[in-house]
Order: sequence, then C-alpha cells, then structure tokens
Amino acid sequence: MGLIPNFKTLATRSPWLYRINAGSCNGCDVEMAVTALIPRYDVERLGCQYCGSPKHADIVLISGPLTVRVKDAVLRLYEEIPDPKVTVAVGVCPISGGIFRESYAVLAPIDQYIPIDVNVPGCPPRPQAIIAGVAKAIEIWRERL
Amino acid sequence: MNFLTLFARNLRTGPQTEAFPLGPAFTPEKLRGRIVFNAENCEGCRICERVCPAGAIKFAKSPDGMTFDCWHNTCVFCGNCEFYCPTDAIHQTNDWNLAHVQADKFAMVEHGLIPNMKCSDCGATALNTAPMVKNVKPPLSEAELGEVRSRCPKCRAKYLKNRKVPS
Ligand code: SF4
Ligand code: SF4
Ligand code: SF4
Repeated sequence: MGLIPNFKTLATRSPWLYRINAGSCNGCDVEMAVTALIPRYDVERLGCQYCGSPKHADIVLISGPLTVRVKDAVLRLYEEIPDPKVTVAVGVCPISGGIFRESYAVLAPIDQYIPIDVNVPGCPPRPQAIIAGVAKAIEIWRERL
Repeated sequence: MNFLTLFARNLRTGPQTEAFPLGPAFTPEKLRGRIVFNAENCEGCRICERVCPAGAIKFAKSPDGMTFDCWHNTCVFCGNCEFYCPTDAIHQTNDWNLAHVQADKFAMVEHGLIPNMKCSDCGATALNTAPMVKNVKPPLSEAELGEVRSRCPKCRAKYLKNRKVPS
C-alpha cells in the first residue's frame, strides 16, 4: 500500500462546504447559515465545515435562480473550485426557477450552466432537508475522490 | 411550540442538537410540505392550476381522461392550491424530506388521472369528476350523488333541475 490510499481515507472524512449565492432572496442563505451555526442542527457533525475561499471547497451549495446580473461572477467562482467537486442546488430557485420561473431576469434552471449533483427542493428547505442533501453529497463526493 | 415553552425548556435542559440524520427529525404537524392529490375528489375546476404562483400544477388532456401533475421541484409550498380547492382533493402533507440526486429531478412529480367514463344517460364520453353540488339544497343523498356522478355535465345539470325536492 502506497501513501495515496491513506491520504484518500483521511481526506474523505472532512469535506469543506462553500456557498454561492446566485441571486437568491436570502431565504435559503439564512437556512444554510442556520444549518451550520445553530447547535440544534449542526452540520459539522457530518465532518464538514464552511470555508471562505472557493479554492478550498469540496462541496458547493448554490442558492438562487442565477440572475442575469450575477451569472458571470457565479461561473467564474465555480471555475475556481478545484475538481472533484459536488454541487448541491438548495431551494427550488436553482432547480427550476421556483417562484421566479420564466422571468426575463433569471437564467434558471441553473443546470444549463453548472452540472448539479443533488437537489434540495423547498422554498426555503428546512435545515434538516439541507443536512439530508449534504449527506447525499458527501456520499457522491467519496465515490468521486 | 411557542417561544415561551421553548424558552422554559432551554432553561431546564439547555439547547440540544437534533439527532437527524442519524435519528428522526422533529416535524411540526402543520409543516407545509409535499403536495398530494386525490383524483377521486377532484371536480376538475382547475382552480389550483390557476392560483399556483409557481406554475407547479399542470392539467392535460390525454386519451384516458385528464391528467394532473404537480412538480415538487418548482412548488414553493405556499398552500394556495389546498386553500382554494373546493372539494379537498389536494392536500399539503408535512413531508419535507425531498432531497434527491440529479437523476431523479424530473421524477419528483405527484401524478393523478381523472378517468373518462360514459354518461349513464346520453352515452357521451365525459370526465369522471366529483360533482359540484356543495350548494345544492337540500343536500344530495349518497344514492343521488352516485347518480349525478355517473352523468356528463349536461345530463348532471338536467338531473339536478328535474330533481324532486321533498317538501
Ligand atoms: S427557493 Fe425560495 S427561499 Fe430559496 S432563494 Fe428561492 S425564493 Fe428564496
Ligand atoms: S377540485 Fe381541487 S384539485 Fe381538482 S381542479 Fe379543482 S382545485 Fe384542483
Ligand atoms: S403549494 Fe403553492 S406552489 Fe405548491 S402546488 Fe400548491 S399552489 Fe402551487
């Protein structure tokens, strides 16, 4: 056994989470903050933590319907995240456009621009639902690594 | 739970982390979650499709009748459809656990069918919808309801018009 497999088992224990706000109404962002910051939900039990830089991220949580105005910034940020990455769409906005569907100002669904792996519908989804989505994402990420 | 009960509980036991996803999650009875549809009770008025702010509900004609589809991935769980439905055919459950992988994106649909039938009076093909008889006085009996239901809209109107009201 070489060094690489050991690094792999170590690394798969603790993914970094990163949030991208693609023009969301902030409902989903509040729920994502709650998921991490309030001891009642505590997403860090799953071994993951939010990070401040896209360069460290493993799992990306995207909220918002991708408004025309933020499109370039979001795509640039997404490019900066190293592979392999797992993308979670939080809320119905990125999945289909939700309440903003068919508006001239949004480019939803976001999977036309960014490959999505897990969807968490809800407007906004409960913190528990976000945790369930993150748990699914971690499974996918372990396979991908 | 109102905030005073929560406050009292937190003073007593301190805040606790929920066991989910390693255990069950606390789910309020009235949480607004996934939509379910009961084709049996639907009267085909399509009010729900009209009031849905997210355009999640679509009715469509098919050879077998009229299909109902509600896509959970665009529904915003506002409850408008349940509020406006005259016959309680559409309900909001407190099921919130809808996270799914991308491959299932378009499978997150509540599907229903209002089947076609032959009118028992004139023989025309019509939808087997629940009759709109909420405001009929005196209320219809079970047998009468069955009679009305087995007819097409025109024959239903005729039946109700010719109905002998016992005084
Ligand atoms: S899904 Fe709902 S809560 Fe979340 S960003 Fe969109 S509109 Fe806001
Ligand atoms: S009866 Fe209810 S479920 Fe059926 S079309 Fe009317 S509003 Fe929709
Ligand atoms: S809950 Fe609201 S958004 Fe969802 S199907 Fe009903 S009316 Fe549409």
